[in-house]
Amino acid sequence: MASESDAPPPSSTPNEAAAASASAASSTAKAERKAKPANIVIPPKKPKLNKAERRALQEAQRAAKAGGGGAAAAVGQEGGGKAGGGKAGGEKGGIRTSESGALSTTASGVSGGDATVVKRGHSKSITEEEKKDATPDADDRDTRGNREDKMVSLFSHLPRPKSQSGSHTHHLSSLLASTTQQSSHFHPAIPTLGHLYLTHSLLGGNARCRAMLQTFALLLQSYTPPPTSRDFRHDIDHALLKPAFQYWTTQCRPHSVSMGNAFSFLKLAVANLNRELEWNAAREILLESMEAYVTERIEFAGKAISRHAGTKIQDRGDVLLIFGKSEVINRLLLDAALVDKKQFRVIVVDSRPMLEGRDTLSILSKAGISCTYVLLNALSYLMMREVTKVFLGASALMSNGSVLSRVGTACVALLANSNHIPVLVGCETYKICNRVQLESITGNELGDANEVACTDCARVGPSNRWNGNMSDGGEEKRNDEDALAGWKDQPNLKLLSLMYDLTPSDFVTGIVTEVGILPPTSVAVLLREMSPESASTVDSME
Amino acid sequence: MIPPSSHLAANLDDPHNVRRWLQTYHPKQLALLNNFEISLRLGRFSTRGCDGTDSGSSAQQQQQQASSSSKYQYGKERRVITTRTVELLRSIIGSTRWGTAAQLLTLLRGLGNELHAAGGYREPAIGNMVRRIMYAVRDEADRAPVMATSTSTTTTTENAHKMEVLTEQLASTNLRATRALSLSSVLWAHPQHITMKHSRQPSGSVDYSDRMLALTDSSDSTGAGGGSGGGDLSLGADTSASTHYYACYPPHYYNRRDDLRQSVMEAIQEIMSELEDLHKNINEQAVQHIHAGEIILTYALSKTVELFLKAAAAKKRKFQVIVCEGSPHFGGHAMAKSLAGAGIDTTVIHDAATFAIMARVNKVLLPAHAVLANGGLIAPSGCNMVALAAKQNSVPVVTVAGMFKLCPMYPHEGQDTLNDLISPSSVIDYSLLGDPVLSEVEFVNPVHDYIPPQLIDLYVTNIGGFQPSYIYRLLAEYYHSDDWDVFE
Repeated sequence: MASESDAPPPSSTPNEAAAASASAASSTAKAERKAKPANIVIPPKKPKLNKAERRALQEAQRAAKAGGGGAAAAVGQEGGGKAGGGKAGGEKGGIRTSESGALSTTASGVSGGDATVVKRGHSKSITEEEKKDATPDADDRDTRGNREDKMVSLFSHLPRPKSQSGSHTHHLSSLLASTTQQSSHFHPAIPTLGHLYLTHSLLGGNARCRAMLQTFALLLQSYTPPPTSRDFRHDIDHALLKPAFQYWTTQCRPHSVSMGNAFSFLKLAVANLNRELEWNAAREILLESMEAYVTERIEFAGKAISRHAGTKIQDRGDVLLIFGKSEVINRLLLDAALVDKKQFRVIVVDSRPMLEGRDTLSILSKAGISCTYVLLNALSYLMMREVTKVFLGASALMSNGSVLSRVGTACVALLANSNHIPVLVGCETYKICNRVQLESITGNELGDANEVACTDCARVGPSNRWNGNMSDGGEEKRNDEDALAGWKDQPNLKLLSLMYDLTPSDFVTGIVTEVGILPPTSVAVLLREMSPESASTVDSME
Repeated sequence: MIPPSSHLAANLDDPHNVRRWLQTYHPKQLALLNNFEISLRLGRFSTRGCDGTDSGSSAQQQQQQASSSSKYQYGKERRVITTRTVELLRSIIGSTRWGTAAQLLTLLRGLGNELHAAGGYREPAIGNMVRRIMYAVRDEADRAPVMATSTSTTTTTENAHKMEVLTEQLASTNLRATRALSLSSVLWAHPQHITMKHSRQPSGSVDYSDRMLALTDSSDSTGAGGGSGGGDLSLGADTSASTHYYACYPPHYYNRRDDLRQSVMEAIQEIMSELEDLHKNINEQAVQHIHAGEIILTYALSKTVELFLKAAAAKKRKFQVIVCEGSPHFGGHAMAKSLAGAGIDTTVIHDAATFAIMARVNKVLLPAHAVLANGGLIAPSGCNMVALAAKQNSVPVVTVAGMFKLCPMYPHEGQDTLNDLISPSSVIDYSLLGDPVLSEVEFVNPVHDYIPPQLIDLYVTNIGGFQPSYIYRLLAEYYHSDDWDVFE
């Protein structure tokens, strides 16, 4: 329930807390009933709530309802929605802004009004984001006004990047603060992983998905359903999986398709458990199926892709071009070089903002593969000259055959296509998404705009990116060297950093999956064949 | 006083002799040339020139230059270099003692070679300027051709000479009038079909035997008339190699004309004023190409594009500009800052996001390093990708360029045409190369891209807008086909 979600989080004002505790005496039945909507807005706390607490919340909520204005946010979320602008609403704004690394916490009644926007069901995460967009806009006009203007209108439908500006440290501390306050409800593994997502320390569809499943396994091991629960499946879903997933998605970084698919798999696995099962047995089953998912859909799939694609690498004379970093591509190149002892050259193309190609470069060089490293600008120079094949990774495959991948991939595929060089996309089938997308603008993710301004990034590897930004010396240096150092103070100037782009299926010669090499037109077929169940559920995650 | 004609005829017969010739007779002009070459080699024009000659945001520019002195930014000072080149040529041509059109052309060719060697190969505009002045010289010489009936025109009296000139003018106008009706004159605005490419080969072919005869005649007679043989021998050491250069020019070029200097200087002045009005003329067309509410994508830094956009903005057109940052040199950052300063709604994106954003772009404006004879474009590296993405999305690609960037050459070398591979210091930090693993890696950092003509929809130049397929025709108006070959 709304107030439930609002009250416990960290920034609750003293009097609110007092109010909550004061009214700690009420029916459990109602708490049970209202448990469901509570999760709509802010994930966690449900699991660790004891009866007394829940009652307290319930009470507070009811009081709010009766008051009609007091804690209006709660009402708003229930659907009644009057712009009461009480404490709860204010609080909500506070949490939001502090969690998203923003500055001010001045709250007002606007958030209460916003709450009316909330919809139920599938669109949870979306509404979450909408609100997040709306709230700071209204609330902190003066402090954030400048930055809000910096949003490129073409992309205003996308969630704002969470790690804005150099306030990374600030964000980290606020994150930690929020977690310490929530610690009674939140397993520490959740914000830890969230932080990795947020800072881009953990990149790549596979890595993110694997980490997510591992964290879930960790959570499951330490979780016991509350004694009152009638159905542990429901509890796991709503108390464990959803809050964590929503926290990562909304507070840290939008989830990848791989994560979404894995998550819906997990939900399905939970739903398919026998209700009569003992919790421990059920847990074992769940853990096992999660492990199987990782091994089968990620590890074995990678191996199979490596085998399939390996047949296309010619010994001696092949010059392969790759872009950025992709686990599956690196793996197949290493396999071809080390296991099959093939000799070939690799051109690593890299591009800002992530410069992930640096990692690829060192991985491949260490394996003794002769490499050429260029930035995207040298692509047309090299492409026509010597490249024989292009291997690309993918973040997701759309069911119309287009490939969603790290920004820049489409440029590489485009140039390869125009030079009639075959493009092979390596992608595990679990990354297939049943959505269709036509261009890169509708579905994308915004990166940190400050990275555009920082030209230093061109020469600093991704690993020490944050270090460079945080140290004072780095800060000063940036101001000196970069033409765009003061971009936020300059009117009319906006910076845009996109994380993904969509490669149309025309550019792709073949998609290498664990079931073979397919033309991109067959992705929809594959989706149907491989995972009929996910076809119906993935969509509910979006 | 040394009789100029004879000496020049002896010495200015081979472009390779130009330096020696200047050294002997015009040390002052040689010093000018040397100064220019040193500045060119050291890239001094970028720091000194811009604040003086560029009327744009000089303060900002200065600041950027101060900050980015270590960064690689060539092409930035192009207009300055171009203007300086013309100024240099003007001062050399204006004050040295050449006699005939042929000598002047040889002098220019020699200067062209010099400048090319001094760094002009990086800056095609320098060669273009030399070629254009050569064309102007040819034009002037052709305007009143003196029949090569006698090689002793130098000895005729002023009156007789003038008479001859007049009659020839009449004859030439008649000739031109008749020629205007023929097909060849439609295709070739000027008598360029009389090309003698292979005449530069050491062995004179049969076709040209009569001309060769006439030329040996002329050299004989001038040599006899001049007299001071000692200087000739010492300076024109390789006379055997030089003789075939005579064959480059029609016979009447070897006639002395007193009005030539005046008219050539006027032609150079015209070129200068064209350069000065360059941006004005280009920017006048801005409103024709940019409509309200447009989203225009441009790549990296270009003064011409910047002024073009600003001119459109000054006409109260509201549009949005997306600037690709142009990694690894990040020219786009300076560009965006300048555009935003002029009140244009500007967004900077990573180069990688070009394709992603192209779906919403209305027009692509590309900067030009050089425009090639086939209508292709040499632009900052990365532009080919932008042009391709635009083509893919059917977005028109417009290139804004002054005509001085028009190069009479074809991209036979593909992406290597007029290209340069520079230090990869901007691609990778050298400190990382200490790692033995990375020391084997090859880093490539080209400066330019060749963009084929089919990817470009329009060239907006100071003389109007043209489609790429028309460019070859413009070449005939700017350069003589004998001057096309590159300077060595």
